[in-house]
Amino acid sequence: MKFFSLVGVELNKIRRSKILLILFAPVILMWIPCVINAGMNFDLREIPITPQNNFFIQGFMGMVWFMIPASLIICTVLLTQTERSNKGILKMLSLPVDTTKLCLAKFTVLILLSLIQMAMTVGTYYISAAIASQLQDYNFILEPLYVCRNVLGIYAGAIPMAAVFWMISILIHTPIFSVGIGLASIVPSVFMINTKIWFVYPMSYPFYLLMVEYGKAAEGVYETQVAWLPWLPVAVGITVIALMVSCIRFGAAERR
Amino acid sequence: MSLSLEMRKLKRTGYFFAFLAGGLLASAFPLVNMLVRPENFVSLPGDPFTILVDANWQMMAMLNILISICGACMMYHTEYADNGMQKMEVLPVRPSSLFWGKFAIGSLVLAVMILMETSVLSGCAVHWFPAYQFDFLQVAKSAGFQWMVTLPTVMLMLVLSSACRNMWVSLGIGVILVFTLSILPQDNLILSFFPFSSPYQTFSTAVEKGRQFLLLGVCAVETIGLGLVALLYQRVRRWYQ
Repeated sequence: MKFFSLVGVELNKIRRSKILLILFAPVILMWIPCVINAGMNFDLREIPITPQNNFFIQGFMGMVWFMIPASLIICTVLLTQTERSNKGILKMLSLPVDTTKLCLAKFTVLILLSLIQMAMTVGTYYISAAIASQLQDYNFILEPLYVCRNVLGIYAGAIPMAAVFWMISILIHTPIFSVGIGLASIVPSVFMINTKIWFVYPMSYPFYLLMVEYGKAAEGVYETQVAWLPWLPVAVGITVIALMVSCIRFGAAERR
Repeated sequence: MSLSLEMRKLKRTGYFFAFLAGGLLASAFPLVNMLVRPENFVSLPGDPFTILVDANWQMMAMLNILISICGACMMYHTEYADNGMQKMEVLPVRPSSLFWGKFAIGSLVLAVMILMETSVLSGCAVHWFPAYQFDFLQVAKSAGFQWMVTLPTVMLMLVLSSACRNMWVSLGIGVILVFTLSILPQDNLILSFFPFSSPYQTFSTAVEKGRQFLLLGVCAVETIGLGLVALLYQRVRRWYQ
């Protein structure tokens, strides 16, 4: 089977799972307080940032810190559990399909779902920025190029984390541990981005990228340059290792 | 009877170990904080135990909530995944006792977790603050308070996971609730009564504002009310099955 038709099959499997609704709800919920409290963006407390940049960054803060990792975890649960009931995965594994391809197809669906969520976030950002502009009589809307570049950067930063969560969900078969480890790993990411070894902790990458953007928009809050050098090789290494381990171990428990 | 039955169901799911690990991880927060930067806290004025709770409880409460969510999802996942629920329904066991048994276990393991965390907090206070006099009553009160204000969250999560057949739906709703209530302003009185928001309230702040009994009362009412809603919902659902 071709890789893309496998991805299509995987997408078909989750068609009735209501996952898009679950991904969409936090996106809506996160912008409501931002629109209601849009006036607070003018009270900058000595931070040299424009209100429109503040609106964008404060809105995305909760998203990158908590909701992106949490959504990824929910999606891994979805991808592993839909097939575990009624032993669907056993049937898949008995087909003449390469398990590596199957594993990578599922991972593609995982990051595709995350991409859809990011697109929804950008869409709702523009809607809520337009509403806030109407309410406050001030233009909160940033140019699309800037917003898309940042959101795509954050999304790319989330891919290593997705690979690690995917590996955890394959290695650990008891759902309480795979979910528990994932959710527990979100909490210390605030600590981690303030340490020197933040680049070994994939859960902090999206948050780091947003903080650098905050530093660029407001002098002195955080670093203004992305420290590419130790980070990029480490991130690529983590992603490749996590994907390799998950491809090797995929279906190992069922085949036994 | 039903309690031991529920315990046996959870034996091989790693449930108890997950709570133990979660408690250890949460207890590591104050320890790491004190090991890495003790100077930030030792010089602060006031009661050492309160200083430590104020510095660390937000993170620890969040971990407690997240582990409770996982636990609740897991308890009903084992029932729904292989149609265990249908088999339970034909047994001479009341569906309500199933629910209350699960709630009893959930609240007991939470109590163990919070006891671990508060004892580590007081241990840190004893070790790093030479002037600190260990006050058992204060620590016990604080632990009891934190347990009581976390119960509505445990209950609501059990209600949600008993209502949703698929684990990702209940997990998703739980995580969305954590997220939503964490971005809303924390100092609002009404919002602080909500499940998923009340666990962040600390005992010392509540006493300072004189609302500890109000909070405890509201949380107790919420817990019982949500439990009754769950039982009612289960009744109604059986008519339509």
